[in-house]
Amino acid sequence: MAQAEAFETDFWKDANLRKVWDDIVPGEPRKTIPYTLTRDAIELYCKSVGETHPIYFDEAYAKTTRYGGLIAPPSIHILLMFSCTPADDWMRSPGTVNAGQSWSYNIPARPGDVITLQARALDKFIKRERLFVVHDNVFFNQHGEVICSGRGQTIRPE
Amino acid sequence: MTTTFEDLNAGDAIDGPTFAVSRESIRLFCDASLDYNPLHLDDDYMKGSFGKTNFGGIIMHGMNNFGLISRMLTDWAYPRGAIHRRLETRWVKPVRPGDTIRPLGIVKSKQVTKNSRWVLIDVLVRNQNDEKVATGEAMVEFPLDAAA
Repeated sequence: MAQAEAFETDFWKDANLRKVWDDIVPGEPRKTIPYTLTRDAIELYCKSVGETHPIYFDEAYAKTTRYGGLIAPPSIHILLMFSCTPADDWMRSPGTVNAGQSWSYNIPARPGDVITLQARALDKFIKRERLFVVHDNVFFNQHGEVICSGRGQTIRPE
Repeated sequence: MTTTFEDLNAGDAIDGPTFAVSRESIRLFCDASLDYNPLHLDDDYMKGSFGKTNFGGIIMHGMNNFGLISRMLTDWAYPRGAIHRRLETRWVKPVRPGDTIRPLGIVKSKQVTKNSRWVLIDVLVRNQNDEKVATGEAMVEFPLDAAA
């Protein structure tokens, strides 16, 4: 789990470097970093939500399916969102509240994939005194194929 | 048990797994998702208020609901030769350590497009008090090559 060990888990650290709602420019690309998805990371994610389907764990079984090998669960983008963004990304700002998400799935992520993210705020607005940002995210594999794309809203800390 | 696109009807239920939420399950989700937002870790921080909202203690990641709904959909789709294509969710109520939650799906409608077949599903997650904690919609594709 070398990647997890290198990951800064104290989200207060670097908090002053992150953009607040006022600084976020809709349309401006976010800084992202490529991430190699490992079998260990998939298995840990599966454990956290109780996924037990053999298509995520059993290579011999997975080869017999339409996917021809091991895949990650579609919701692996929950992990990819944090693994493909740097420590000063504003998604890590303490107090960020998730206000809903929609995701479309094209092809599965697989162990060994080098995954990249194209992300930006698409919009921002104020509603009932709360500061909202609309997120626009697309994950790609090393072949440039779309894995999944998603839109989300967060309420930004004041 | 319905197994083919033709057999599915509006109102058919999809049962999801029961999930016991604990401080440990939330911590494991932090490690698995790399989402270490103090909302999910820091009781002292959570004694404060967020605008008009006071949670009173740590809460489960909203995306943990999302992951459970996704698990329900894929476990339903794989044996039917179907593919989970879309999930949209909103959080209705915070989930706390000690809660037990369970996702549920209800087939809403079916649609045939030029090249494929789709099932639209209303999803929700309930807690042990039968309160809705999350709601949403999903879309599962039944490709023509999966026709039984």
